[in-house]
Amino acid sequence: MFKQTLAVTALNIKSIPHRLGLSLATVFSIALVVAVLMGFLAMANGFRATVSGSGSDSIAVLLRAGSQAELNSGLSRDDARLVEIAPGLATNAAGDPVLSGEMYVIVDGIKRSSQTEANLPLRGVGAQAPALRDGFTITEGRMFEPGAAELVVGESVQREFAGFDLGDTIRLGSNTWTVVGTFSTGGSIFDSEIWTDIGVLQNLYQRGTTVQSIRVLLESPEAIEALRAYVADEPRLNLDVSTEREYFASSSGQTSDFIMVLGWPLAISMAIGALAGAWNTMYSSVDTRTREIATLRAIGFSGGAAFAGTMIESVVLAAIGGLIGAVASYLLFNGVSASTLGGGFTQIVFSFAVTPQAVINGVILAIIVGFLGGLIPALRAARVPLLAVHTE
Amino acid sequence: MNDATLVRKGLFRKKMRAVLLILSILIAFLIFGVLGAFYSVFTAGVDVAAANRLVTVNRINFTMSMPFAYWGRVQQVEGVDNVTHASWFGGYYQEPRNFVQSFAVDPESYLAAYPELVMPEDQRQAFLTNRTCLLVGADLAGQFSWSVGDRIPLLSNIWQKRDGSSSWDFDICAIFDGNEATVPANYAMFHYDYYNEDLAFNNDQIGWMVINTTDPSVNDRVAREIDNLFANSPAETETSTEAAFNQAFLEQFGNIALILVLVIGAAFATILMIVGTTMVMAINERTKEIAVMKTLGFNEGRIFGMVLSESILLSLIGGLIGLGLATLMVTGAAAALAGFLPGLSMPLSVVLVAIALMIGLGLVTGIVPAINATRIRIVEALGKT
Repeated sequence: MFKQTLAVTALNIKSIPHRLGLSLATVFSIALVVAVLMGFLAMANGFRATVSGSGSDSIAVLLRAGSQAELNSGLSRDDARLVEIAPGLATNAAGDPVLSGEMYVIVDGIKRSSQTEANLPLRGVGAQAPALRDGFTITEGRMFEPGAAELVVGESVQREFAGFDLGDTIRLGSNTWTVVGTFSTGGSIFDSEIWTDIGVLQNLYQRGTTVQSIRVLLESPEAIEALRAYVADEPRLNLDVSTEREYFASSSGQTSDFIMVLGWPLAISMAIGALAGAWNTMYSSVDTRTREIATLRAIGFSGGAAFAGTMIESVVLAAIGGLIGAVASYLLFNGVSASTLGGGFTQIVFSFAVTPQAVINGVILAIIVGFLGGLIPALRAARVPLLAVHTE
Repeated sequence: MNDATLVRKGLFRKKMRAVLLILSILIAFLIFGVLGAFYSVFTAGVDVAAANRLVTVNRINFTMSMPFAYWGRVQQVEGVDNVTHASWFGGYYQEPRNFVQSFAVDPESYLAAYPELVMPEDQRQAFLTNRTCLLVGADLAGQFSWSVGDRIPLLSNIWQKRDGSSSWDFDICAIFDGNEATVPANYAMFHYDYYNEDLAFNNDQIGWMVINTTDPSVNDRVAREIDNLFANSPAETETSTEAAFNQAFLEQFGNIALILVLVIGAAFATILMIVGTTMVMAINERTKEIAVMKTLGFNEGRIFGMVLSESILLSLIGGLIGLGLATLMVTGAAAALAGFLPGLSMPLSVVLVAIALMIGLGLVTGIVPAINATRIRIVEALGKT
């Protein structure tokens, strides 16, 4: 049986050149289906990696109750004082809580790809802010001076938006600001931000001493419960407390879900189209060799071998298509930088990521197409009526 | 037996093959139809933009406000027919996830700026005179089952009243709709004065202004003059046409047009390859038949036309079924998505482009087999065996 299958498969594969056009069409149509799927998966995975890489479980984000996003929130100096004495906060070497009151406003940048204006977050921060971002480093230039109209910009902002190179100036209201440095947090959401001194920004926006969010470092991820209880019991505080991971997941999780929800149905419907192609190809494969198969059956080859031969041909063609699609999409998409409007109503820059899991999903989809496409033609091959063929 | 019958018989010579080809063509046009409908509703903001409408926002970013006094100053600019203003409320109903797109506006000038918003005359008067009135879009009203006479609270995720609450009470006294299906009606608006008087902070500020010019030809000059009025002030402005403003906002989501072109391109490349190669093969199988037809006196032009008609017929059958299914799907989804993507329907432009594509696909896939068919020589074809 095994030898027979091998022999039939070899015959099938050797006869592919006779229907080269159709076989190639099948291979490439499956490659295209896989490439489309991989494109969407790479987009969703890249976006998700940026968002989830940003959220820490041991940092709490405090916003005004019901405000949902930093942009909408507003907290007074009194709120900040009450948070400073909350339980569960980690302290630094000097014994002070690691806490950062921050302002968050939107400014326009010019998107390089479309040359149109896009929302960029300008964050006003104090001295503690870098300590609350893992891996924060100044990669070029220097940090802004407190009190000066100076900016440091995230690496991703520089990559996707024009006008933020070192030494460039931008106008906000009637003031001119200078870019003095570039920072990186290793590809997290913060790399899509512009930072400046909070005092200068509060002044420009006439916000007095109010801030929009407070970030605190927790003693441990479990300490969030103590902080939540404290905020709930303190009548003067009307705040929503979430971990940073929860905050980013709730504000930006929908975007990657949306890309997935769009990508899979598209890929599956295209796969049905390709399935019709594969089916067609395998039918012709069986049709053109009806006599041959009948002859083999007559000299003792089993129907099973004829079935397996056709099936293997179909699956192999599909798998080749799947691999071509996967490799091509890796070469085309992996690492491509893009940006979209995220949950905070500002641009989030991310890189397409073709993950091994996505490659496996793509090849599995291709093999399913090959299997289903080959099934009925293979059954037909197994049932070629011996006598009818030769009496023709 | 006329030519049309011959074409039909040729197409369905092998039923299974024809059905499979129709299926793959159907899928490509289904994808094209559905994506085309979504794209056109997504970009509706650019299409419904009036040529003489300008938008003035704070130069820093459109989320920044500007002083209320700007409204009066812009009215003085020559070439300005009407100016109105609006402010983003960040509204939600009962729970934060029940987002309600809503603005605080100057009622009279706002309705003058957007003549495409229509409602019964008594409701229009009620909105203009009743300062606690909420004018609700028909799609939004449907989403929450609101009707005229209801009294509802809207909460803001940004603004607070002086008493610390974020809730404003409104009487729904009017429901508007667009005069065309593409005009969105999924938002609500209310009197700026009613909102402004209770604000705890950011008083006497407006979000943006909408200007109707006397003629599109003065747009550039009016825009320049408005921006010059406020140059070097703490709140500088940026004025652009409504279409440009909406286009820039869409670009913020990414290059959606490019993604759609790539996906639809991939879908069509697939069927082009599958249908193209199959048609070549199908005609090759018929070499003898065609030779017989030539013997019977069918000339080359007639045979060429018949083969081409066969591929166009195939493409039209698959394409029209696919487009029909897409229309059904879009119509089915329209009700569910009314709040999110109002006015979702199958636009005529998508249908026309699809039909052009069907004919194009038929021509491209049919041309090689048709040429092959005319080249068949009777002697060789019939002498083969």
